[in-house]
Amino acid sequence: MSDRVYEILFIADPNLGEPEVDALADQIQGYAEKEGGRVQKVEKWGKKRLAYTVRKHEEGYYVLLVVEGRGALVKEVERRIRVTDGIVKFITVRVDEELRKAERRKARRAQEEAKRKAKGLPRPSPAESEEVSL
Amino acid sequence: MSFGGGGGRGGGRGGAGGKGGSARAGQKEAGKRYFFRRRKVCKFCADKIDYVDYKDVKLLAGFVPERGKVLPRRMFGTCAEHQRKLTLAIKRARNIALLPFAAD
Repeated sequence: MSDRVYEILFIADPNLGEPEVDALADQIQGYAEKEGGRVQKVEKWGKKRLAYTVRKHEEGYYVLLVVEGRGALVKEVERRIRVTDGIVKFITVRVDEELRKAERRKARRAQEEAKRKAKGLPRPSPAESEEVSL
Repeated sequence: MSFGGGGGRGGGRGGAGGKGGSARAGQKEAGKRYFFRRRKVCKFCADKIDYVDYKDVKLLAGFVPERGKVLPRRMFGTCAEHQRKLTLAIKRARNIALLPFAAD
C-alpha cells in the first residue's frame, strides 16, 4: 500500500532554548527517517500559551512535523517520543485521506462552477452550494 | 376523531376535523416559515472550508465559548457534516492544549 501522511505535533519544554528545540525537532525527524519516512514539512510555531496546565507547564514550544510513511512508523516514532526528555505532549493525526477528500470536493466544486458559467446561469444560492459540497 | 394524544399533527391529518385542528396546523406552519427565514447558513459551507483543521485555533475559537464547550448545531447553524468535523477538530485541539477542556 501506498504510504500515508501523518502530522506529528508536539510541545517542547518552554525552558529549552531555541537551538535545543531545533535539535529536538531534528532528533524526531531522524526517528521518522530511520523508519523509512519522508519528512515533508517542519513548522515551528514558537512559544504559545497552553490552554491548560500540562506537566506543570503553562506554556510550550509547538513544533509540527508532516511525515509520509507506513503505519508502523507512527508506532515506533511515538514510542521514541515518549522516552525523549523535553517533550511535554504530542499528537499524531493521519491527514492524507481527509485532505484527499477535501481536494476532490474542491475539484468538483470548480467543475460545477465551470458548468454553471458555461450555461450562463447566475451564482448559486447558499442552499444549492450546500448541496454541491455533499 | 380525537383531540387527545395526536395533538396538532393529528388534527392536520383529518381534513374533516374541527376548526381548532386546522387553525393549529396553520400556526405551526407559520412558525416553521419564520424559523426557516432566519436560518443561518453553515459557515464552513459558505466559506468553502472542506477540511476543518484542528490546528486552526482562530477558526475553532469562533465556535467554542470561553469555557471550551462544543455547542449544539443550532447555535451556529453549521450543517451536520461540518458539525461532525468541527467536533472532531475541537477534540483534537483539546488534546494538544490548543483549546481548554473545561473552565478552571
